[in-house]
Parts: sequence; C-alpha cells; structure tokens
Amino acid sequence: MKDNNPLSPHIQIYDWHISSLVSICHRITGIINIVIITLICFWVSLLLLGNANYELIQNFFETFLGKFIIIGTTWSFSFQILSEIRHLFWDLGFGFELKISNITGLIVIFGSFILTIFIFIFGQGIFL
Amino acid sequence: MVQINLPKNSKIQKGKYYKDKTGSKNIRKVNVYRWDPSNGENPRIDTYEVDMDNCPSKVLDLLNKIKNEIDPSIAYRRSCAHGVCGSCAMNMDGKNGLACTKSHKEIKGDINIYPLPHLRVQKDLIGDLSTLYKQYESVEPWLKNSKKDETKENLQSIEDRSKLDGLYECIMCACCSTSCPSYWWNGDKYLGPAVLLQAYRWIIDSRDEERKERLKKVADELKLYRCHTIMNCTNACPKGLNPAKAIASIKKMLATS
Repeated sequence: MKDNNPLSPHIQIYDWHISSLVSICHRITGIINIVIITLICFWVSLLLLGNANYELIQNFFETFLGKFIIIGTTWSFSFQILSEIRHLFWDLGFGFELKISNITGLIVIFGSFILTIFIFIFGQGIFL
Repeated sequence: MVQINLPKNSKIQKGKYYKDKTGSKNIRKVNVYRWDPSNGENPRIDTYEVDMDNCPSKVLDLLNKIKNEIDPSIAYRRSCAHGVCGSCAMNMDGKNGLACTKSHKEIKGDINIYPLPHLRVQKDLIGDLSTLYKQYESVEPWLKNSKKDETKENLQSIEDRSKLDGLYECIMCACCSTSCPSYWWNGDKYLGPAVLLQAYRWIIDSRDEERKERLKKVADELKLYRCHTIMNCTNACPKGLNPAKAIASIKKMLATS
C-alpha cells in the first residue's frame, strides 16, 4: 500500500482491558526489576568497602525518597512474581477463558498491593 | 517497532458537523473517521446527529441510515449483515467488532466509529488487509493429504473432529489481529492471532499429514513468539473464539514435541 495513505489510529483509541493493563505492567516492572537488581549488586559491593558506605546508604533509605524506592521495589517484585505465576499457568494451557483471565488479572493487580503490605509488615518484625 | 504517535499525514482533524434535520427528540451523536483519498487532506472526524427513533438496533444499521439519509459519501465494507462474512469489522467505542452484531444500545455516550486499528486506510472506514491475507496464504490453509483415492470419504473420529471446534468458526474478519499491540508494532513479521488460529486449525486437523512441517514453519521468534498473551484478541473476537489459547496450544506443542 502507498505510504501516503494514513495509518488508522491504534493505541490512541483502543480501550484498555484488564489483561492488556497487566501485560504492559508486567513489562514495565520487569525492566524496573533488572535496574533494581543491578543497584542491589552495587549496594552489596559497596558494603564490602566499609562502614562509612553502609551509613551513607542507610541514611538515604531513611529519607522519604529512599522509603518510596524500597516500597516501590517491593511492589514491582510482588507484581512480577504474581504475574509470572499467571504466565506459568498459561504456559501449561490453563486460564485462557475470558472470565478466568480477567479474574486472575484482578488477583495480580490487587494481590501485588496486598503482598507489598504483607512484606512491609513482615519486614517490621510484627510477626516475629 | 513501537511507535506510539501517528505519522504526520495520519493526524486526525476536526471534521464537519451534520445537524439533525428531522426534528426528532431522540438524538445521538455519531463520530465517524473519514479520509478521502482524492484531495490529499488529513483524516477527519465527522459528527452526525442521528434520529434514533427510526433506527434499527445495530451499529451497521446506524451507518446505513447515515449513508442513506444524511451523507452518501461515507464508505465502509458490509455484506451479509448477520455476523457471518466479517466484512463490517471496525472499531466501535474503542473495541473491535462486527458492526452488524454490535448493538448501539451497548455504547454509552457518543458513538465513536474508527476503521480497524493500525492499518493503511483506503477510504473512510476501509483498511487495507492485504498483508494479513498474504500471511494467511503463507500458512497454506488447505488440507495436505497424500491419499489420491477420491471415491472414499476421508473419515475423522468424533473426538478428532471436536478438536476443530472453536477454530473452524473463524471468519477472518481481522478484529483480533488488529486489536493486538504486538501486531501493531510487528505486523510485517508477526503473523497475528487470526493467522495463527488458522495455522493451528490445520496443525490439529487429524486428516492433515504435514503437521510436523507446519509446526516447523510457524516456530519462529517473530512469526509466533511475538505473542505475549496480551489477550486483546480474545477480548475482541466477535465470534467468541479464543485465538490466545490457540497460539498457546501451538507453543505447547512445540515445547513438548
């Protein structure tokens, strides 16, 4: 087809579904997680260099931004884990019916927040 | 390649406004994507006020009414009007479907009608599907069987036949393929849900003798594995089929064989 024919609108007009939303979030959290894991590796290597580094980073984690990053990372990992479990079931051939995929999608979305809160509370040592 | 924004010549402009002339009190606004290949202008959205008291129930009826009574220049494909031919596939209210089976009562607010997403527009609501048809041809959608005897039936058990249920009903309307973001970005290489569902229909057919070759042909990073189970295809299918499941079945067959 000639190039001067216009392209019909796509993502601008297409409705979001639960499944497409979870899918794009799965990708975004995947990229975030790679970055975060790399940073965690740097963090661990820095600790080897002594006490001063530990306190510097510890102080950063006490700030609002630091806390936001920690909680955000926890959510990102929670989302990725739940969504990946959903993908594993798909790979086995289960859960493709529209209703079921919508339910599992909602479980992933809400479950990721619940899991984040759970991990946060667990980290505070309330269960110990 | 992912390109979120529309190219320059595809930016949508504001179009004409057709005011209601019947004096009816039951009026709905219908926004329709228009593009005229003859004048070199950008696409536009025309708005029609339609008298709903004298309009049958489906979106296709609405378009027919506009074409017959308000603006005869509007172009769209349609044929059977019973959800069998797949000609009137378009994007209504942000979702792909067949205009002849979609009731306009289901749509709240103004009715927005666009051509199928991410296609080269030929005119108004008509998109160019030739790439999809070429891809369909590439999966060789016909029975391959070495039996030359034409006096005997080619029998199939009830169980084998039931494997084709949910596949043979596909009418190739392209609602699923054009709803798939993966197909938007890689439409030239990725086969898309419609064609992969058809490919699976021949792979799973017990009478076909070239299952292995068919599987081998489709097992490709771009052709098949661009499916990320976004499930827009299953959400869009006006016949209630499940292309996502068919694609997953192909992947599973490849992984286990």
